[in-house]
Amino acid sequence: MTFAQAVRAPQARRVQRRLHRQAVPHHRSAKRHSRRIRGASWEIRSFALASGVIVACFLLVLLYLAQATAVSAAGYEAQRLAAQRDELRRQNALLVIESARLDSPARVEAEAQRLGLVRAATIRVVAAEAVAAAR
Amino acid sequence: MTATISHARLRVLFALFTVASLVLSARLAYWQTIGRSDLLNRATDQVYSDLVVAAQRGVIRDRSGAILATTVELRSLYAIPAQMKDRAGNDTKGAVAAAIAPILGERADVLSAAFESGAEWVFVRRRLPEETATRIAALHLAGLGFEMEPKRLYPSGSVGAQVLGFVNDDGLGQYGVEGRYDAELAGTPGRLAVTRDPANRELALGLRTAVAAQNGQDLVLTIDLAVQSAVERELAATVEREKAASGAVVVLDPRDGAVLAIASSPTYDPARVGSANAEALRNRAISWTYEPGSTMKAITIAAAIDRGVVTPRTTYDDVGYAVIGGRRLCNAQCKAYGPTTVTQILARSQNAGAVFVAGKLGASDLDRYLQAFGFGQRTGVDLDAESGGIVRPLAEWYPVDLGTISFGQGLSITPLQLAAAYAAIANGGTLYRPYVVASRRAADGEHRTAPVAVRRVVSEETAATLRTMLTTTVDEGIANAAALARYSVAGKTGTAQIPSDDGRYVDDAYISSFAGFVPAVDPRMVFVVVLERPQSKLLGTVPAMNAFKAIATDALRYARIQPDRP
Repeated sequence: MTFAQAVRAPQARRVQRRLHRQAVPHHRSAKRHSRRIRGASWEIRSFALASGVIVACFLLVLLYLAQATAVSAAGYEAQRLAAQRDELRRQNALLVIESARLDSPARVEAEAQRLGLVRAATIRVVAAEAVAAAR
Repeated sequence: MTATISHARLRVLFALFTVASLVLSARLAYWQTIGRSDLLNRATDQVYSDLVVAAQRGVIRDRSGAILATTVELRSLYAIPAQMKDRAGNDTKGAVAAAIAPILGERADVLSAAFESGAEWVFVRRRLPEETATRIAALHLAGLGFEMEPKRLYPSGSVGAQVLGFVNDDGLGQYGVEGRYDAELAGTPGRLAVTRDPANRELALGLRTAVAAQNGQDLVLTIDLAVQSAVERELAATVEREKAASGAVVVLDPRDGAVLAIASSPTYDPARVGSANAEALRNRAISWTYEPGSTMKAITIAAAIDRGVVTPRTTYDDVGYAVIGGRRLCNAQCKAYGPTTVTQILARSQNAGAVFVAGKLGASDLDRYLQAFGFGQRTGVDLDAESGGIVRPLAEWYPVDLGTISFGQGLSITPLQLAAAYAAIANGGTLYRPYVVASRRAADGEHRTAPVAVRRVVSEETAATLRTMLTTTVDEGIANAAALARYSVAGKTGTAQIPSDDGRYVDDAYISSFAGFVPAVDPRMVFVVVLERPQSKLLGTVPAMNAFKAIATDALRYARIQPDRP
């Protein structure tokens, strides 16, 4: 047998079977026709069901991807906001330090000297008891 | 047209396919079983990062809440020289160096050399001031980038440096509170393991394992920044004016042993430790031992009065010297005073009188009281590198030692020990352990330090008697230069000689000191001022008393302590 013959053999068998079927009586043919119709409707239903399942799966996957994308996007946004928060906290810490530096008695003393201020020789203190007694 | 394939060829073809399938299957099986973990690791490495999350070091504050030390992340500038190119691909290393050199205060050729060194990645300057980093960032230069690094900052500069200590480049606390409380301040690092995308961003849907870092505890010190600033200012001025070799000041609250200020000269800036010499790092107030001299007479007399062997009115005839152990111990300039009370011994600071009192007390009792007052042992202050001083065991005393120790020679102490002892006299006779950390603020709440009363050293009556005698010493005696307007002051001066390596005393070199408390009737602050080798030798203790007056005036003002005299 050649390769071409081997390939064509199934087709040849199908043609022979078809010719053989055409030779059987008519009542059997009608019966088979009705069966074929029932078989066709089953095939359509199966096809529709399979198509429906595939579409549903596709939609589910789409839904999942949409959610995953949204979560990822939200994650990136959360990261951006966290970085912004950290930077603001850092800037705030630097301002607190600057405030502490400006409040430092040593700096105030130096600044007072630069402005030519002099330390008060005496500070009058009013005794609390005396004030209370006067009342 | 038909093609024929022989059975043999078909078999060969089939065999080839079979072999190829088997090889592929085997390879697939290998990667799915034996090589699976390797592949998994390689894949994970590309997207997975496991980082140590540094804990924030605790903040140190003074007693009123002012920040003394805190940590903040600063930007470090790095360079990737290979990326220093313009759009046309021309090298821009020289231009980049020229642009940032004036901002960094660095020479452009030095920066260029660093960029041309062949290194793939180089730190240009670490922990830049914020303004400098912002100016460089605004230039948008290719090949430069920033990385955050923590930096310990001290807003008050060098004020309180000896108490605070510093943090080295490895993040470890050294000296002072930073060293002593390093474990509490440092906290515990955390861990963050996440999957990342190619842009190095965390993936919200990826694996995530996070162990939060436990930040270090915040410390609140007993130190008063205003008093500390005044103390350091006056000490620096006095040391400079007197051309003294060094100096130390301690201010204590006698009611509980809280340290209000500790200063030591020379000192350093904790933000620039690298440029400080080793001597400046030493907190002389707690680690420098010296012979105290006459400030110890108050301790000797307190012991004798408490033991009941003398009273303030006990009298002896002063001939200018005392003989003990075959040695003659003189007053200053061997001056004779004649009949003298114990109160006058203190007021005039007579060495012979101190020997007389010690003789009445005896070596055993004097040694016992020295131990009770805490000399010869560490006070237990919560600072690193404290010395205990030296008080030789009683068995090693020569007969003359009873006399010399009575006026502060032949033993060595720290300024903090003397302050704690005077605090005991000031508060009615209880020796408190000095402490610096008032409270620790941890995640589970605030832990306050309870003052520790070590022991009662003298009775309340003895302490009251000594307060009166020391007040007389300031009002009418040798320490008159320490008197303050409108405040009663109790105190005693000390002029101690400095022993040399051969055991003799150095000529023309003294340690000048003053120890006292204010107000004398209800003491709120104890002061000890010690100056090493002040140049105005003839004036003896005057520099120390002048420093005390300036410090006490400011400290009482800041603390709003009401005057007790009209």
